Order: sequence, then C-alpha cells, then structure tokens
Amino acid sequence: MNDSMSIPHLIMNASLVVQLVMILLLAASIASWVVIFQRSFALSRARKEQKAFDERFWSGIDLNELYKDVPENHEAQGAEHVFRSGFREFNRLMPKTRSSEAVLDGVQRSQRVALSREEDRLNAHLTLLATVASASPYIGLFGTVWGIMGSFQSLSMSQQATLSTVAPWIAEALVATAMGLFAAIPAVIFYNRLSAIASRLLGDYEDFAEEFHSILHRNLQGRSHQAA
Amino acid sequence: MAKRTRRSGYGLPVILAIGVHVVALLMTILRLPESEPEPSSSSVVQATLVSDVTATDQAQYAQASRARNAQRQAEEEAQRQAEADAAAAQEAAAEAEAQQQAAAEQAQAEAEREAAAQQAQAEAERRQQAADQAAAERQQAETERQQQAQAREQAEAARQQQAEAREQAEAQAAEQKRQEEAAEEQRQEEAAEKQRQEEAAEKQRQAEAAEKKRQEEAAKAAAAAAAEDALADSIANEQERIAGAEQANQASNNFINLVKRAVEDRWHPPAADGLMAQVRVRLGPSGELLAATITRSSGNPAFDRSATQAVEAAAPFRELRQLDAGLQRKFRDFNLKFTPGDVQ
Repeated sequence: MNDSMSIPHLIMNASLVVQLVMILLLAASIASWVVIFQRSFALSRARKEQKAFDERFWSGIDLNELYKDVPENHEAQGAEHVFRSGFREFNRLMPKTRSSEAVLDGVQRSQRVALSREEDRLNAHLTLLATVASASPYIGLFGTVWGIMGSFQSLSMSQQATLSTVAPWIAEALVATAMGLFAAIPAVIFYNRLSAIASRLLGDYEDFAEEFHSILHRNLQGRSHQAA
Repeated sequence: MAKRTRRSGYGLPVILAIGVHVVALLMTILRLPESEPEPSSSSVVQATLVSDVTATDQAQYAQASRARNAQRQAEEEAQRQAEADAAAAQEAAAEAEAQQQAAAEQAQAEAEREAAAQQAQAEAERRQQAADQAAAERQQAETERQQQAQAREQAEAARQQQAEAREQAEAQAAEQKRQEEAAEEQRQEEAAEKQRQEEAAEKQRQAEAAEKKRQEEAAKAAAAAAAEDALADSIANEQERIAGAEQANQASNNFINLVKRAVEDRWHPPAADGLMAQVRVRLGPSGELLAATITRSSGNPAFDRSATQAVEAAAPFRELRQLDAGLQRKFRDFNLKFTPGDVQ
C-alpha cells in the first residue's frame, strides 16, 4: 500500500461532492455517538433512580411523607414523576368530591399524562439514531456512485484504460461507503439497545402506575365503607 | 436524591463521541507507517537515457547492421558457391562487376597498386582466396554461359554469338597472358633481387590483408549496396565518437537526471518482463512537451503507451530554461529508453 492510497490521502484528494458527503457522514456519525453516550448515561441513571424509588416506595413509608420528602425545586422523573402527579391530583380531588370514581378517574388521567411525558423523555433523540442508521448507508452509497461516475469520466478522457487510472477514484469513492457504514452500524446497534432499555423502563413505570392506582383504589374503598 | 436531580448533560457525551472518532482515525493512520517500511523504496522502474542526439541511434543501428552483414556475408558466401554452379551465374558475374565498380576508393586504389602482387599470389593461394575463386568461377560460368548461349544461338543465329564467344575467349587469353607475364616478371625479380623478394613478401602480406578487406566489402556489396554500408560505417564511427563524448557530458548533467526521475515517478508499466521501448522526446523552448513518439517499439502496445504517457505526465520540464542556450538546443530533442527493472 503506497502513500497515495492511504485513507487520509484519499479523503483529501476526493472530489468536492464526495468530500461533502464525507463531511456529512462524519457529522452524522459524531451526532449519533453523542446521542449514544448521552442516552446511555441518561437511561442508566433513570434505571438506577427507578430502582431506588421502588425500594423506597415499597419500604412501607407513608405516602404523604414520601410526597413531602422531595424538595420543591426538584423535578421528579420516572416512576417518581408518575407517583407525584397522581398523588397531587388525588390530594386535590379528595376534598372536592365524594365520588371515589371521579377521584380515581382524575388520578388515572394525570398519571397517563405523566407517563406520556416520561415516554417522550426516554425516547428523546433516539429518532436521530434511527435516522442515521437508515440514511447514512444511502448517503455513503451516493458518494460512491458519484465517485465512480467521476472515475468513468476520467476513464473516457484517458486514452488507455488501465487499473491505475480508475483505482484512485474507486478507492476514494469506496471510502464514502465505508464512512456511511461506519456511522450506520453503531447507530443501528445502539438504537435497538437503547430503545429496548427505554421501553423496559416505560413498562416499569406503567406497572408502578397500575400498582399505585390499585393502592389508591383500596384506600378509597376503605374510606367509602367507613363513610357508609 | 438531590444528587441525582442533575439531568444528563451533553458535555461529556460530546467529548466521548469526538474521542471515539479520533481513535478510529488514528487506527487508520497509525497502521500505515507500520506497513510502509516493507515495500520501502524499491524502484520498480528504470528509465535509462540513451542519447540526446540521434547520432547514437545511427551508431547502434550501424553496429547492428554490421553484425547483420557479417551473418549475411557468411550466408552469402555459401550461397554464392552454390549459385556459381547454378544457372544464375550470369547474375553472379554481374554482381562481381558491380562490386568492382562499387568498391570504396581506397580499396580500388589498393587493388590497383597491388594488382601485380595479387596476381602473383593468386597463383600460389588460389584456393584460399575467395575472390580469385570467384574469378575462376566466373570463368567457368562464362564458359558455361558460352555453351548455353551457343546452344541457344545455334537454333537462332550462331555467327554473332560465336564471334562474341571468340572475343570473350580472346579476352580470357589476354588476361591469362597478362597474369603469366606478371608472374614471369616477378620470377625474374625474385631471381634478380632477394631484397625485393622480402619486400614482395611484405607486400603479399599487405595484399592478403587488403584482399580480406576486399572480400568482406565484396560480400557486403553482393548482399546489399556495399558502398552505402561502408559510408554508413565511416559516419557511424565518427558519430559514435561524438556520441560517446556527449554521453560522457550528459552523465554529469543533472537536467537529464531530473527528466529521468520525473518520468520514472510517473511511469506505470504493465506487468511485462524483458521489454524495451525507446521514446523520442522533443521539447519546446520553455520545456513544454512538443512530441513524444515511439522510435523503437517494444512490441507490446500497452507498454509503449505507458512509456509515452509517462513522458506526457512528467512534462513540462521547466528546468530547461535554467540551462545555457547551447545546452538548451541540445536537450530539446533526446531519446529515452524504457526498460522495466527487477519487477517486484
């Protein structure tokens, strides 16, 4: 492999369109890796918080205490967010209505809103990974096709068709495809992995919401019995 | 709980993502220097300069033609002996006459000066001397021709031919007479003066040398135009000397080396061993390429084209302008010889 066929040399000598494609792919690759790292950290932290909250919730702590325990400026996340929004709605509705049905409906609605927000938060930017994963091979292929078109144009201009007249063009064209795959492969792998983690977390939140809802329902049933 | 309130930022992920790409790039770059030393700088290609003027070409061609002539001479001698018996003896006689006419001036002068010595020697060494053999053969051929002609002429009109035959016979007789007279003279001289015998021996030796030379030239003349070859030889010898001097000159000249290196760098020869192509390169006053033509083909068109393309790619040779005016004129037309070196 001589120096003129080294990858940096090929990139530097590529035609403008191919170079633009390469820059685009490099940007896509960097962006996808940023998302991969950011999401990995965020999801692992969310899982840890979910675990910690689960332990606290089932440790037999009083729900009012648990609700008041968190500081005011703290923005709750995950199951805690679901719990807080549901419990807040419960507390607000309890003095206003005697109907346990209406209270449970309100709680469920607020929990659904909180769940939907959590889902958005978990899946944030994962679409970027999906886009990079599916589009960058095509972008790279476009660069390759363009480069090979150039190679054939140069071939038509040269009197003699040797491999040495075509080889640099094709090599630099193939670099574009390689970069497309380089960007796409991690994006595909991590998109699948991160979306699996996110959906599992969301399933955990939904389970918690149901459990919390059943707890509130039990409390309301007891109270209505006492009232009756 | 308060520790975890911080949302995951983008600072660290950005740094990590860029780090990943830098590592990937380094992996592609750092692997190259390791693999590079193996091929190192084994220059596959050697473009050798032949000459800056066409004189060397002519010299080379002359050498080649001389070698060819030597071969042809041997062949022709054998052929001529065979032909002598054949009916083509008329042509042989004509050729012999033409050869006498076409022989170089010095050869003629020597031949005339030493005619007596040759004839004396011819009697003693007739078998060894091919020219005398030719003379004997000519005589035989002529007699044969006479017979044939007589046979033919008897059918038509015998008298004129007989008269001619008689004239020829008379001419032969006169020649023989002359030879005998010369021999008698020499014998008399030998008897009279021993010193002159020694001189005659020397003359004989010289005559032998001259005779050999004449044989060679005669053979060439029989093969082709001997006079032209002799002329070309003399020219080639001169030009060889000139070209030798000029090649010594240009060995120290770095312009040609520059050209050579530039062409070598851009030469991508097809995989083929043992080929040789010669390209004549003509340059303009500022070093631009006017023409690169194949003067001697390697027989492989792809190889030839690669050679001309290498020259075209290496042009223009701007260094030409830095030379003196005289040198510039000299280097505006030169030949490049392309021979692939030890491939791989």
